[in-house]
Amino acid sequence: MLSSTHASGATVAPRKTLGFYLASGWLGLMLLIALFGDSLPLPDHKEYFFDEAGAGLFSGKHILGTDIDGIDILSAIVHGTRMSILIAFVCVTVGMLIGGALGIVAAYWRGWVDSVITMYFNVTLSIPNLILTFAMVAVLSSPTATNPEGRMPRVLVIIIALTFALIPILGRLARSSALSWTGREFVQVAESIGMKRRNIMWSHITPNVVPSMMSVGFLAAGVVIVVEGGLAILGVGTDPGESWGSLLSKNRPQIVDYPQAVVWPVVAIALTVMSLNFFGDYFRKRIDNRESRI
Amino acid sequence: MSGGTTSSRATTAQRLRKAKNIALIVFKAVLVLFLATFGVTLLVRLLPGDPAITLLPYGTPEQHESLRQTLGLNDNVFVYYFKWLGNFLQGDFGYFYSANTSEGAQISTLIGNVLPRSMLIMVYTMIFSLLVSIPIAVAMAYKADGRFDRITSNVMFAISSIPNFAIALILMYLFAVQFEIFPAVGYTPMADSFSEHLKSVALPVFSLSAGLIATQTRLLRTDMIATLKEDFVTMASSKGLTDRYILWRHAFRPSSLTLMTSAALNMGSLIGGAVIIESIFALDGFGLLLTTSLNSRQYLGIQSLVALVTVFYVLFNAIVDTFYAVVDPRVRSHRGAA
Repeated sequence: MLSSTHASGATVAPRKTLGFYLASGWLGLMLLIALFGDSLPLPDHKEYFFDEAGAGLFSGKHILGTDIDGIDILSAIVHGTRMSILIAFVCVTVGMLIGGALGIVAAYWRGWVDSVITMYFNVTLSIPNLILTFAMVAVLSSPTATNPEGRMPRVLVIIIALTFALIPILGRLARSSALSWTGREFVQVAESIGMKRRNIMWSHITPNVVPSMMSVGFLAAGVVIVVEGGLAILGVGTDPGESWGSLLSKNRPQIVDYPQAVVWPVVAIALTVMSLNFFGDYFRKRIDNRESRI
Repeated sequence: MSGGTTSSRATTAQRLRKAKNIALIVFKAVLVLFLATFGVTLLVRLLPGDPAITLLPYGTPEQHESLRQTLGLNDNVFVYYFKWLGNFLQGDFGYFYSANTSEGAQISTLIGNVLPRSMLIMVYTMIFSLLVSIPIAVAMAYKADGRFDRITSNVMFAISSIPNFAIALILMYLFAVQFEIFPAVGYTPMADSFSEHLKSVALPVFSLSAGLIATQTRLLRTDMIATLKEDFVTMASSKGLTDRYILWRHAFRPSSLTLMTSAALNMGSLIGGAVIIESIFALDGFGLLLTTSLNSRQYLGIQSLVALVTVFYVLFNAIVDTFYAVVDPRVRSHRGAA
């Protein structure tokens, strides 16, 4: 029975379920909103509609209602999308480049290079990532005599800290993925014909590691959005109202009287992270299928 | 060679290898701790900006100088680090400095105040998540790919994707605001009233457990399904034993290894990982102490607290590794699968 499913040459791509379409639809929507959200015909996210403060669902032009200051919740979320997506995108891209390079070098070079890089990963991973980023943000943004606001823009500090926390996570995965390729025949052939190790890494190992890195990238983007939200709740996020997390932290004290201002940003975060995880999972299955056919 | 001598020689060699493995695990753990704490020191010390000025923004140069002297900031990084390490190992975690008091609060006292309740919440979370995930996973594996299995798998996937602060806020809205079953914030010590105590920790424990339940269910389900395919299960069912008996007595125990590993590793990360939940529910625990020390830029506090979190994490990891080094080598490969 088992062999028959194998012989029928199970499709390379796993079945596209309803969830797949929902997840890709949501992510596509978020991407569009991040790019063009500001030109949507919504009330201004900075305008205080004092007369309509605390309005509920579908009250007039405020589709999701307003918060305690009378700020339109939907347009605030739409505005926050850009920052949340930007932070996730930059952190994951830079993290993948640095972490991926370190992981591949460690896997292919082995020896002391591998020991040093792996030790660096383990040391960084031994500090919970939220605390690590929190500590980095606190230290990096500490005020100086000349600039009481801190040395760098908050967003940059957050991006640096989150990337730093991502590098070991992504790097360790790149290393283990690269390890499964370094012993393959085509690498041995390349070595035996005297190809330079640098070129082997670049043209034989990296292309094979990239797909699995991509699938992890989606999961990592989810982690970034979550940790950014966490940082905001702890009071070291982006400026109030600039990202989903900071919307949460701004409106959290009013959860009793104006729950809508907390619930909708939570829904946006949860749906996005869920879609990212779903997507990452889908790609991982796809890669597993592909490799099991080799 | 006769069989007897080879086997006894093999055991000695095996024992030696085991001891070597354990020594290696301990060495690695110590090295990671050493480097992690040194890294935090570097982070605090080498970045531009003067901690003395940050702590006393409006102090006179003389006050800054004397604070620098007390903090040991005039020493170089290595001297500073080893002084700190010496104190830390002796249980002296330094002081919280403030502009108002000359002495400052002793960090070890502050930790002593908050650690018990953080540990308690950690233990509750672990017990609760195991109590929920074990029966669900066993039921899922019993009829794998059945309707219950498929629905629960999807629900668990969804839950594991929702950040725990989102779950916390939703639970708080539902159970504290809408239905007023549990208090929204605050912590009642066990000594005051046990039922109130349980009520006050219920929502934090639920929020922390949600993600754990999803992970643990998945792990146990996979292992249970594998175990249920083993010959001894077929044997047991052909003997006419009931399904319930086979599931719990024959299949559950050998399948629970990965689950227990994951639980132990999560224990290690819960102590510092509960920061947000503690902050949302105003629990005044270890996480909150860490947050305050970071927000008020208590550099010595940061160092000692982060070191403590790391110690917990590395310790639980090392315990798990040692466990795997000691038990049967056939079991050892399981960790890789987890």
